[in-house]
Amino acid sequence: MGEARNRADLIIYWGCNPVETHMRHLSRYSSLAKGLYTPEGRKGRKVVAIDIRPTPTTKGADLFLQVKPGNTFEIASVLRALLRGERLEEEAVAAVAGVPLASWREVAEAIKACRYGVLFFGLGVTQCRGSDINVEQVGLLIQDANVHTRFYGLAMRGHGNVNGSNQVMTWLTGYPMSVNFSHGFAQFNPGEFSVLPMLARGEPDAALIVATDPGAHLPADAVRHLRSIPTVAIDPHKNQTTPWATVVIPVAPSGVAAAGTFYRMDNVPLRVRKLIESPYPSDEEVLAAMKERIDHALRA
Amino acid sequence: MLRIVNGRVHDPSHGVGGEVRDIYIQDGRIVSGEGLDPAQARDMETLDAAGCAVLPGGVDIHSHIAGAKVNSGRIMCPEDHYGHVRAATDVTRPGCGLIVPSTYETGYLYSQLGYTTVFEAAVPPIEARHAHEELMDIPMLDTGCFAVMGNNYLVMKVLNDPDPVRRRERLRGLVPWLLRASRAFAVKVVNPGGVEDWKWNAGAADLDTPTPPFGVTPRQIVTGLAEAVDSLGLPHPMHLHCNHLGDPGNVETTLATMETLSGHRTHFTHLQYHAYGRTKKGGFTSGAARLAEYLDAHPEFTCDVGQIVFGNTLTMTSDAPMEFKLHKMRGAKWGNCDIEMEGGSGLVPVRYAPKVLVNAIQWAVGLELLLLIKNPWQVFLTTDHPNAGPFTAYPEIIRLLMDADYRRSWLEKLHPRVRRRTVLFDLDREYDLDEIAVITRAGTARRLGLSSKGHLGAGADADVAVYPILSDKAAMFSRPRFVLKQGELVVRDGQIVAERTGRTLCVAPEGYRQLPEDLAETFAGCYTVKLANYMVEDEYLRRPEVVPCG
Repeated sequence: MGEARNRADLIIYWGCNPVETHMRHLSRYSSLAKGLYTPEGRKGRKVVAIDIRPTPTTKGADLFLQVKPGNTFEIASVLRALLRGERLEEEAVAAVAGVPLASWREVAEAIKACRYGVLFFGLGVTQCRGSDINVEQVGLLIQDANVHTRFYGLAMRGHGNVNGSNQVMTWLTGYPMSVNFSHGFAQFNPGEFSVLPMLARGEPDAALIVATDPGAHLPADAVRHLRSIPTVAIDPHKNQTTPWATVVIPVAPSGVAAAGTFYRMDNVPLRVRKLIESPYPSDEEVLAAMKERIDHALRA
Repeated sequence: MLRIVNGRVHDPSHGVGGEVRDIYIQDGRIVSGEGLDPAQARDMETLDAAGCAVLPGGVDIHSHIAGAKVNSGRIMCPEDHYGHVRAATDVTRPGCGLIVPSTYETGYLYSQLGYTTVFEAAVPPIEARHAHEELMDIPMLDTGCFAVMGNNYLVMKVLNDPDPVRRRERLRGLVPWLLRASRAFAVKVVNPGGVEDWKWNAGAADLDTPTPPFGVTPRQIVTGLAEAVDSLGLPHPMHLHCNHLGDPGNVETTLATMETLSGHRTHFTHLQYHAYGRTKKGGFTSGAARLAEYLDAHPEFTCDVGQIVFGNTLTMTSDAPMEFKLHKMRGAKWGNCDIEMEGGSGLVPVRYAPKVLVNAIQWAVGLELLLLIKNPWQVFLTTDHPNAGPFTAYPEIIRLLMDADYRRSWLEKLHPRVRRRTVLFDLDREYDLDEIAVITRAGTARRLGLSSKGHLGAGADADVAVYPILSDKAAMFSRPRFVLKQGELVVRDGQIVAERTGRTLCVAPEGYRQLPEDLAETFAGCYTVKLANYMVEDEYLRRPEVVPCG
């Protein structure tokens, strides 16, 4: 994100609304920030927004393309075709995702003309139907853009330090998520070992829930299964899970009453500090104590 | 106390070349057996190394094992992990991967080859915390990392100072500050200027291409940093990845860089990738002979080879523009990171195939460097893991060096034109065990400035590898009889029998304790991280050991 701030003269927000979800993002890292080679800040940058509805982020853009939902793959494809100079017939491709081809040409030309472009994409891109092929096509779009200029893509990650759990899981197991240890080694298969399919199959007979709130984020069926099995929730806050969890272990909040490492969404690792004392242990201390007791029980 | 008896000891640092000697170990160090009461010796724990070669533990001078780009490589290549799996045992954790193994797996695999110390070769200071978090989770090894500085904005800003005295003085302050910030062991330079150029979408950097925004040239960057490293007396010299990696004809750039740096201690890394001549039509030929001749005349230089291993692997380097070029050439998947103010990195999977002429030439060039450079203390065995292939191929490469008939048997498997473009198949040299000990441990330890590693003299760390003497050298080096880490038996007959935590090696040269005002101002204005949050804290170092500067 440092180079987005220092260099980007074109910023595209696609399927994300950082003005409301990542409040400091625009002023610190993207459209409003002033950096090394962007002393004019917002004035020196062109900002494009692609979304299914107007948002405070799209209002601040120079160009807003309001698209029909569920067309991520088509949008990435038409932009790729334009960047690669493929011949598109106006009659056959009059509009893509409800937006006239001429507007997509404008976006493609802006990409070609920029010195350093950055695409920030959010859940609107990653969570629509056919999720992984959409993201792949967006990745290929970024590759194609680099044939013309320097161009960069970054996913707008949500939640604090979700990247941290991906990073640690990866160096320990080889995989960022959806890892199953039931055979004594790490197996990876999203769609089979991710949370929702596991709960849909009714497979888990106990759950340890660390720093997340399935009661608020998962579909009702999944929560119903969780509520039918023993659950241990480790969290600094009361949330939609803690009222029904079998055991709740309150912990000190990281960055306030416990130190640790946060991985920013562009992978920059940051130290968070302990500022105040808390009557509660850190989540790390709780997990270490649990591991020790399990080891002890296994040895006995 | 513990002793290893009846083994043939290969300790080239002390001129011991295969004589049967006993090795005594106490409190994690090698001790002298002189004056020991024979009865006392008989009573101590004894490992019988009859029929075995006893060597110091292996020391890898250049490998990519921890940090942001390695972890991105793991995410990018789940297909590498599926076929290489280790289940949990009483002593080991589960792990997976061969090309980019998980952290514990990396420690186990190195240890099972008799390696006890490994250096991560490229860490941008702003991401150093991540590298150290992973190094803490790599057991069995002492580790350290090199901080990349060849495209660092602050370094280039200082190098732009027209006053040579002030320039040297400031660089002498800044380099230690960056090493301290990243808790690194050495200064690494990757494609000097070239990574910054690519952020401006400019073409590849030559030695005298001005680098934006200051117009500092790669020549100024390498000489400035080499001078600083020399004057600080860092244990390891500047560790240099030259410009134009992988290009046909790049041997000219490499030689020009060597001429510029002659007189300065320099380590040229993965030299194989920088040793290509060019045919009239732009094809590849070997330039190894010219580089070998140059190194023979310049004892201040060393290199490691980055030997190609045929098969699938994943390239990962701070040389981001090279990776983009490779991606376009191969049409393979590509990952890239532009690292604010400090450089970049890239990832592209590749397959090296013996019937592909370029790959066959690359394979031959690496072996030529190892066989043509006369002094084994100047050339070290690496695969630039995993760029040229995984480190697990070391035993196979050792066989290629020790067995000329075996090497010649490869000719028919390679693209037929490799014979005309290289001289490998005219070389009869065979390495002996002492020379292998030099290029895999004694030489690397000496070049890294580690006085207690790479040898078996009294006072050395009791990191020892004992290999069964076999005619098939690949088999010999892939399954050590014993490996000791700090005096503890960790591997027996190729299997991990105990897990040990290693140390983190770092340096503490005198330099800026705080950035001078103008640099601090630049930092505050251009980084997205606050200066107060930049320096890696003590919490990220596992059993730190400061190696003194000379």
